[in-house]
Amino acid sequence: MSDPKTALQGYVRYRAVGQVAFLLHRLTGLGVLFFLIIHIVDTAFVYFVPELYEHAIQLYRSLPFMIGEIFLVWAVFYHGLNGLRIIIFDLWKPEWWEREFAIKSVYWVLVISVLLWLPAAFTMAKHAIEYYSGG
Amino acid sequence: MKVTLKVFRYNPENGGQPRYDVFHLDVDPNDRVLDLLEMVKGYHDGSLSYRRSCAHGICGSDAMRINGRNRLACKTLVKDLGDTIVVEPILGLPVLKDLIVDMEPFFQAYRKVMPWFINNDPPPEKERLQTPEERARFDDTTKCILCAACTTSCPVFWADGSYFGPAAIVNAHRFIFDSRDQAAEERLAILAQEEGVWRCRTSFNCTEACPREIQITKAIAEVKRAILTGDLS
Repeated sequence: MSDPKTALQGYVRYRAVGQVAFLLHRLTGLGVLFFLIIHIVDTAFVYFVPELYEHAIQLYRSLPFMIGEIFLVWAVFYHGLNGLRIIIFDLWKPEWWEREFAIKSVYWVLVISVLLWLPAAFTMAKHAIEYYSGG
Repeated sequence: MKVTLKVFRYNPENGGQPRYDVFHLDVDPNDRVLDLLEMVKGYHDGSLSYRRSCAHGICGSDAMRINGRNRLACKTLVKDLGDTIVVEPILGLPVLKDLIVDMEPFFQAYRKVMPWFINNDPPPEKERLQTPEERARFDDTTKCILCAACTTSCPVFWADGSYFGPAAIVNAHRFIFDSRDQAAEERLAILAQEEGVWRCRTSFNCTEACPREIQITKAIAEVKRAILTGDLS
């Protein structure tokens, strides 16, 4: 009975706080991995297909990519912080897996990741706006 | 108050197409979801099938997904849910009819962890003594009623039913940390297997779902630590 279809139904329709962290951890992890893969591929173009490398750099300057990179920074912060939360709870403080404290920690990781991300997001957004307004 | 109750229906003898039936009911805010199901079965549609026994949160028969989260129908009040209530079977076990699932895979995993007392010493004249502190060590995990709310809330179990699941680990924990039991090592070896505790990704759904408020993720973490260190203190 348990299968990918059941899992998908659960991911989408089950309601729990812990699951938000579980899903965000996987989505941010996959997002960062996807970016790393395309980054490795485009850097490899320098050696293998130099003319494509220029094209790749142009793509990075397109608006969707610039916006995507801003969210990439949050994904790195969130994935790292949530990973640390799980490592600390699992290996060091199992007693912190207590209902109320663990749920609070999910929210705290979200808040701290956004606070760490805001300065970088501001700088990157400012750069994107200047680039597109001809600054 | 008036509520809209949306119930998952499935009858394999009747074409087998799952559907949702909607019932508009006039209920008391202090009614439980189980009362609503009884009302539907008694006055609207006698073919509605669900499990219930004690109706007081002890037997663990009526775990179901209520408004997207696993709960016991007999412990969930209407006033805590709002005026639209969606009731579905727990996820990850085969649905037999309406809200009834086949619990056998769940109990198979439960039996694998040897959830019974093992002590090969000759029985003492009176009883096997234990200090209050030794008893407190596993008190939390004695509360399990095997309702399957935790195991069927687990994203790992949804994807792969071969994972023992939180309930089996909780019941292993109850004996592993019992100072009178002598089979902790055997149970830890079983839980260290591929389908055991290392499949847990600490999504925490189990702890949130448990109607007995057992700190399940904590118990699983303690078992993980005992496997790594061999320390049962």
